[in-house]
Amino acid sequence: MGKRWANRIAIGTLWFCGLTTVAILGAVIVYVFVRGIGQITPEFIFTKPHGVNAEGGIGPTIIATLYVTGLSMLIVTPIAVLAAVYLAEYAVQGRLVNAIRFAADTLASVPSIVMGLFGFAFFVESMGLGFSVLSGALALAFLMLPIVMRATEEAIRSVPRYIRWGSYGLGASQWQTVSRIVLPAASPRILTGLILAMGRAVGETAVVIFTMGQAIYLPLLPTDPGRSMTVHLYMLAMEGINMEAAYGTALLLMAMVLSFNLSARWLSNKNRRLQG
Amino acid sequence: MTEQREHVEAAPPHMGSVLKMMSRATYFREAALRNLFLLCAVAAVAGVALIFVFVGVRGWPVVQDPGLAAFLFGSEWSATNDAFGILPLVTGTLVVTIGALLLGAPLAIGTAVFLSEIASPRMRSIVRPAVEMLAGVPSVVFGFFGLVILRPVVAALTGGMGFGPLTASVILAVMIVPTISTLTEDALRSVAPGIRHASYAMGATTWQTIYKVLLPAAKIGIIDATILGMGRAIGETMAVVMVAGNAPQFFAGLGEPIVTLTSQIVIDMSYASGTHRTALFGLAIILFLISMGLVALVRTLSRHAERQG
Amino acid sequence: MLLAASALGGCSDEGGAREGLVVSGSTTLLPIAEVSGEMFGEENPGVSILVSGMGSSAGIESVSSGSSAIGTSSRELKDAEFDLGLYDTPVAYDAIAVIVHPDNPVRDLTADEVREIFAGTITNWSEVGGPDLEIGLVNRDEASGTREAFHKIVMGDEPFYRGAVVLPGTGQVRAVVAEVKGAVGYISLGFVTDEVVAVGIDGVAPSEASVVSGAYKVQRLLHFFTMGEPEGLAAEYIAFVLSPAVQETVVRDAGFIPITAKEVSGD
Repeated sequence: MGKRWANRIAIGTLWFCGLTTVAILGAVIVYVFVRGIGQITPEFIFTKPHGVNAEGGIGPTIIATLYVTGLSMLIVTPIAVLAAVYLAEYAVQGRLVNAIRFAADTLASVPSIVMGLFGFAFFVESMGLGFSVLSGALALAFLMLPIVMRATEEAIRSVPRYIRWGSYGLGASQWQTVSRIVLPAASPRILTGLILAMGRAVGETAVVIFTMGQAIYLPLLPTDPGRSMTVHLYMLAMEGINMEAAYGTALLLMAMVLSFNLSARWLSNKNRRLQG
Repeated sequence: MTEQREHVEAAPPHMGSVLKMMSRATYFREAALRNLFLLCAVAAVAGVALIFVFVGVRGWPVVQDPGLAAFLFGSEWSATNDAFGILPLVTGTLVVTIGALLLGAPLAIGTAVFLSEIASPRMRSIVRPAVEMLAGVPSVVFGFFGLVILRPVVAALTGGMGFGPLTASVILAVMIVPTISTLTEDALRSVAPGIRHASYAMGATTWQTIYKVLLPAAKIGIIDATILGMGRAIGETMAVVMVAGNAPQFFAGLGEPIVTLTSQIVIDMSYASGTHRTALFGLAIILFLISMGLVALVRTLSRHAERQG
Repeated sequence: MLLAASALGGCSDEGGAREGLVVSGSTTLLPIAEVSGEMFGEENPGVSILVSGMGSSAGIESVSSGSSAIGTSSRELKDAEFDLGLYDTPVAYDAIAVIVHPDNPVRDLTADEVREIFAGTITNWSEVGGPDLEIGLVNRDEASGTREAFHKIVMGDEPFYRGAVVLPGTGQVRAVVAEVKGAVGYISLGFVTDEVVAVGIDGVAPSEASVVSGAYKVQRLLHFFTMGEPEGLAAEYIAFVLSPAVQETVVRDAGFIPITAKEVSGD
């Protein structure tokens, strides 16, 4: 019966692995929620920090976070989507495509601190953009590029081939086929990918800390500096001056990131149902 | 997460045959658009080149001062003494990465096997989103969690203050689970179902099938997943800086403080100038080369495996 | 153009609704600069003080390069920085307190003992009259002006023990010392709370009186540096920081001793 026992123990272990992963996520969420929920008031969300212990709210950091994320998506989306169109619809396997894929993979695995230093050296200093939302958005765009590219390429590839043949059969050009048939069909999945990438950008710290600066400031123009929620949380936690606000910030940050993830998930489920 | 899957689908319909039926204007428009898309795709290559050049140029002077050998093999990192030897930082990164892999890889691979082979669809619909959401938790939140919850626990265990490789490894292990698990699950799913059926038909138990058939078949994919998880652990910054203790010394015990390549950059960057700043860019270029090397390794492995069938 | 000033871009004074003054440097001075900047902005509509905490050295570097109008520093100028033409306005006193866990019975150390503890030669509290308990050293990061001042005043030529935990924030040092029985660290006197105990050095406990009189030696001045004598908006802001409205409220709330305290005590 050794075989059966080994099987039971092994399966039990695998169950343990799966449940542990869920438990870790649960523990992080519950802990941050319990400690942070008391902080979440309209004042906390909408007003700015004041006083020597950063009492009050975190309004400007929320705005700065959404601003830099939105701007970076605006920059990266057209480039990444068109790049994916090239890879999925036009490219013929070869050296160039290999180089592009290798570069995209490398870009995807560059540590974010390296991206932060690059953003600092290139956008902040060499291009003279200073610590600004624009510098932060450009550096984030580099980080997002491979993520959006991959999601879009997979979305395009998931559109059945025969739809294209139908289009070509009616005499449509390649661009007509791509723009009128393929992209619209792939758009829900592209959108899902974009939302997931936004969640990633919202949670990013090491890139924005060296490109957007740390000043608590309500950015209006792209050239204004700002402090993201993640940087604010890092500074509160390390200074340890206002742990309540740190928990509140952590909770809001988690809620934002998770809502991006959940809405992406909801969108893709809905889409799957629609497509049958 | 990196895509290793090479483009195996058929190439798109051959353009020539389509374009012949077009007017000149359409032909030029199509060609122009095609080049525009190509340009966008090349942006990724340009991005990598830009990073390499700009970080590299700022870091290059370490070759003269403090000198390549002193930089790579120096055993003291102390800005106040103008000593920029990265050996303690490299060993620190090595220690926490190994720790993270020892703890995280089995958990992640176990989770992946659970998801693809054992869990019911219902169970899967709970565990898989959890894994994906774990990937979305911002690293500062993990660091914060490690600092306030895990550190005191480790302190009670090791007797020190709880900062050090153990705390950092545990936090990193959790952070690399989604990377390794998702890619491993992909690898397991790509094993042809017939192989499973054959194994069961021969009377093998679920575990025997997993251990003797599926894991060997998905071996390369799992190795790739682990390498990429390793890359993630090496590059992680904000969570590590909050729990590692950041003392630029060699490994002195699981509960003794240690510093990594990434956390040293965060700690020093805001005030570094001159040689010090150059040395930090030197650290960044080393990190960049490591991550590029790991990606190259994964691609080579996958291609090799593909060729073998 | 609403605001031409980015954090590195200096300030614009032309035709906009908002005028910016860039203040950067010491994290120790961050609360004072931030809160007083906010108050200043309220009193002078259309003016915003952009404050960032990057460390004292960065503050000195950015004011000398012209990136900032004011560089704040919690340390004195180094020899190499004397010739930069910086003008020094001290804005507050700060005492650095050596803190231990409340359960640790040690209440007084000699300056030599403190030095040997942080150099790593004394490793057990029993060596300084305490219980048999291993000493847990907590140090600040090298960017910290507090570390620099502490090193200069207490350590002299002796280097810090390299295996000490390095924490990049005052609050963290306090939180860790408050939790770990054998821990010892140093923070600004103003940040000392009931969670930890500030020990006396050479028989003198840190307090406002002992700092102002000079009896407590581990103290320093906090500075605002400007390129030459402050002018225009920078001068107005600095004058505001030195006024009782800031000194008696913000400076005290932030845990420092007003620079005006010495004159009051008639020293």
